[in-house]
Order: sequence, then C-alpha cells, then structure tokens
Amino acid sequence: MRNLFGYVGRAFIAFLGILSRIYFLFRETLVQSRIVLHDPVRRGQAGILRRIDEVGARSLPLVMTVSAFLGIAFTVLVSFQLRELGALSYLPGFVAVALLREVGPLITALIIAGRVGAAFTSRIGTMKVAEEILALETMAINPVRFLVVNRFLAMLVSLPALTVIASVTALAGGFLYGNLRLGITLDTYLRETLDVIVFKDVYSGLLKSVVFAAVIVLVGCDRGFAVEGGAEGVGRATMLAVVSSTLTIIVFDTIMTTAFYG
Amino acid sequence: MITVDNISKTYGNRKVLDGLCFSAEGRKITYVFGTSGGGKSTMLKILIGATAPDSGEVRYGDLDITALRGRSLDPYRKRIGVLFQNNALLNSLTVAENIALPIREHTALDQNIVHIMVKMKLELVGLRDFEDLYPEQLSGGMQKRVALARALALDPEVVYFDEPTSGLDPIIASVITKLIKDLNRLLGITCIVVTHAVHEAMKIADKIILLYRGKVLAEGTPQEIRESADPLVQQFITGSPDGPISFHASSKDFRDDLLVG
Ligand SMILES: Nc1ncnc2c1ncn2[C@@H]1O[C@H](COP(=O)(O)OP(=O)(O)OP(=O)(O)O)[C@@H](O)[C@H]1O
Ligand SMILES: [Mg+2]
Repeated sequence: MRNLFGYVGRAFIAFLGILSRIYFLFRETLVQSRIVLHDPVRRGQAGILRRIDEVGARSLPLVMTVSAFLGIAFTVLVSFQLRELGALSYLPGFVAVALLREVGPLITALIIAGRVGAAFTSRIGTMKVAEEILALETMAINPVRFLVVNRFLAMLVSLPALTVIASVTALAGGFLYGNLRLGITLDTYLRETLDVIVFKDVYSGLLKSVVFAAVIVLVGCDRGFAVEGGAEGVGRATMLAVVSSTLTIIVFDTIMTTAFYG
Repeated sequence: MITVDNISKTYGNRKVLDGLCFSAEGRKITYVFGTSGGGKSTMLKILIGATAPDSGEVRYGDLDITALRGRSLDPYRKRIGVLFQNNALLNSLTVAENIALPIREHTALDQNIVHIMVKMKLELVGLRDFEDLYPEQLSGGMQKRVALARALALDPEVVYFDEPTSGLDPIIASVITKLIKDLNRLLGITCIVVTHAVHEAMKIADKIILLYRGKVLAEGTPQEIRESADPLVQQFITGSPDGPISFHASSKDFRDDLLVG
C-alpha cells in the first residue's frame, strides 16, 4: 500500500515537473516567436515556409486518405441509424456537424502527432545526444529560437489548414456514399448541409486545431530536449511523445467540446 | 586569466573532480592532461558554464562563471570558442552554414561579408573547397577542422579544445597542433587544451597541468614537467603501463566485486 502511494506520489511529482517545463517552454516560444516575427532577417533565416512544406504539405496525402475513408464509414453508420428512424433527410447536416466540430480536428491532430510530433522529438533528441544543443548554447544561440519557433509557427499555420482540408475531404466522402448508395443529389446534399451548419461549427474546429498544434509542438520538442542516454533514449522519448500528446489532445478535445456545446 | 578555484564534481558515487585548483594565463597555451575518463571533458564543461560544479568557483578575469546561469552567460560565451570532443557540428547545416551561424546570430553584417568571413575561417583550417558539403560527408579529421573554424568564427579571446587531435593521423594531428600554436602566437588567442596526447603538449605548451584523481598532480612548463622526479609524473609522460597509475577506473577492489556477485 505504501509502495503504491509512493509510486503514485512520484509519478505525480514527475508530471508536475513536466507541466512546469512545458509552461516555460511555451512562454519562451512565444517570446522568441515575437522576436523572430519582428525581425525580417531572422524571419528569413527561420525557414518557416520550408517547415510548412515539411509538416503541412507533405502530410496532405495521408490526412486526405484517412479522412476520406473515415467520412465514408461515418456516413454509412449514421445513415443506417437514420433510415431506421425514417429521418434520412437529416443525414447531410448530421454528418457535417459531427465532422466539423469533432472528427475532423481530432483525427487530423492525432495523425500529425504521430507523423510530425514524433519527428520533432527524434530530431531534437538526436541533436541533444550529439551535443549539438550544447554547442548552440555555447555559441550563445537560443535553442528555442533556433529549433522550436519555426516548428511552432509552421504548425500554427499547417494544422488548421490541414483540418479544413480533412473536414472537407471527409464531407466529400460522405456525399459520395450518400449520392451513390442513397441517391441524394449534390444539390440536396449541399443545401441540407449548409442549412444546418453555422459559423461556430467551423471556428470551434479551427480553434481546437490551433490548441492541438501548440500541444504537438510543445510536447514533441520538450521530450526531445529532455532526452538522455543515446539512441535508446531517443527511441523511448519519441514513443513517450506520441503517447503523451495523444492523451493531451483527447483530454483537451473533450474539454473544448464540452465548453462549446456541452 | 582563467582561475579554477577548488572545484569538485561527483556523478553518482564517482568523484570526478576533487578540489581542482589551477590558473591559466591569458594569451598563453595551457595544456591540461589527464587519463581517459579522468574528468577532462567534465572540467571543460564547467569552464564553459555548461555544467555546474558541486562546489568551487571558476573566474574569467573578474567574471565569476559559476555564479552565472542560462542567458546571463551569453556575454562570456560570445568571447569564447569551444572545440568539442565530438565536434558537435549541426548536421542539418552545410559546412559554410555551420560557420556562418554564430556570425549571423551575433552581428548585423551583410550576407556577402559573412560569406567572406566564412571563406577566411575555412582557409585558416585548409578546407575552403568544402563549404557546401554536410558534416556527415566529411572525414573525422575534416569535421574537426570545420568545428575549429566554427569555434573561431567570432574571433574569440579564448578557445577551449577538447582532445583536438585524438583519432587523427599523425600528420593532421601535427597540423592542428601547429594551428593552435599559430592562433596563439599570431593572433594572441588564449588556448586551453585538454588532451591525453603528451608529446604535442610538450612541444607547444606554455604551461602543463597534470590532472590525476580529480586534483592537480603537477603543473609547470614542459621543461619542469619533464624534469620532475615524481614517478607518477614520469609515468604520465612516458606512457608506461607499469607504474603507480593503474588503468582501472573502478574504485572497488576487483576481488571484492567478484565475491559480491
Ligand atoms: N553526464 C554524466 N553523468 C554521469 N557520469 C558522467 C557524466 N559525464 C561524465 N561522467 C563520468 O565522469 C567521468 C569523467 O568523464 P569525462 O568525460 O570528463 O572524462 P574525460 O577525461 O574527458 O575522458 P576521455 O579522455 O575519455 O574523453 C567518467 O567516469 C564518466 O563516466
Ligand atoms: Mg573527454
């Protein structure tokens, strides 16, 4: 029993330690981002566009494929239920609301946490192990400005954009099923969709994606900076980064959905 | 003038530095010698403010390095250059970008001038044709020279070298040794070199410090060290396997260690 308390206590203290580290990383990232954005030379050197290409554009095929299939599967399930109730005309609106508010932002963030957040951790972790970060500090170069700011800004642009694209792709997948199997015309489908969705559905989803972007970058980079102990340490940190950002995203998602619509 | 005053550092139960005291004069070459695993890199990291000692003080002029943390070390760090044991070049940047990085960060110089400065630093280490390669495309010795060029990028007052010649062929090793000498004699740069290669040190050092068991065993000019009557010192400079220094790094007795298991 005492062992259990000891274990839980230590885990809790470790958790608080990580929280405070992430808080300081977040603060430093904001401060440094301001500096970079206000200085044209630094902005050029940061290579933000290249990062957007890397984390955003190159994630498109995966994000679009997953969301198209998800949109179809989701529509299949919903239409089955609605048909039982004889309420099939509600299908487009129902699907749109669920995808825009919840499924689109969440699934995009989870995909990117796995694809991009993990890469942040292993990249920074490898640099930590090779003492590249120590070298930066020794040259009086701020590692957060050098390594986190461009990733942070690129994600802040990329994730909302990907989320919009994912939601639209999923909606298109849903329409495809509705049209081919249920015979709903494009006209009807569009009208029914636009009748139901409101601006809030869109911006709540975008707001979520901004929060998720920050979570992915901060958790991913923090884990990278915390790496100790060679290649094995990098592997372990990468795994932990995906686990912790996934959990954090789900928790934040629930909180925000409840706050907006609960 | 760099003063190391009574620094100690323990990792776990391994006392790496144990009340280390010495000073290194400005505009001179000081070699710190020690066995492998004897805490040389640890000492160097304390000198550059990367690791905090458990106790003791490091002063650069009247600046107390050990009292500074984080960003407040930056003014000191802009005045020093460090050649790391593993080079620590940024792998995602080309050779030229690696050297340009500190210049871009700390000066407002025009792109073309930065480029000229990079060329000059590379010329100094004899690698002008390699500026567009990435570190992993270079041999170990070339990486070492690029790392040296980077350490010199901001025209530092002091350069710290961690094993600048280990793992290099004798010719490159003596090229680097000569480079250290030139940096000092021609540019007046203070050089602190940590190494276990004795013979180079004997050739160019103004002062040699022998590190043993976390303390200073002997210090003086190469001449004084060579003439020392201490058998420990003699074993250091002759590199003989037989003598008072054991190559075992463990503090525990081997027999006891076996009997416990
Ligand atoms: N971060 C660390 N954590 C734990 N132990 C460490 C750490 N850094 C160094 N040590 C230990 O301190 C001792 C001295 O290490 P250090 O790297 O300073 O030796 P060194 O003299 O530079 O050796 P070499 O000549 O092989 O480079 C070693 O026993 C090492 O295991
Ligand atoms: Mg070493």
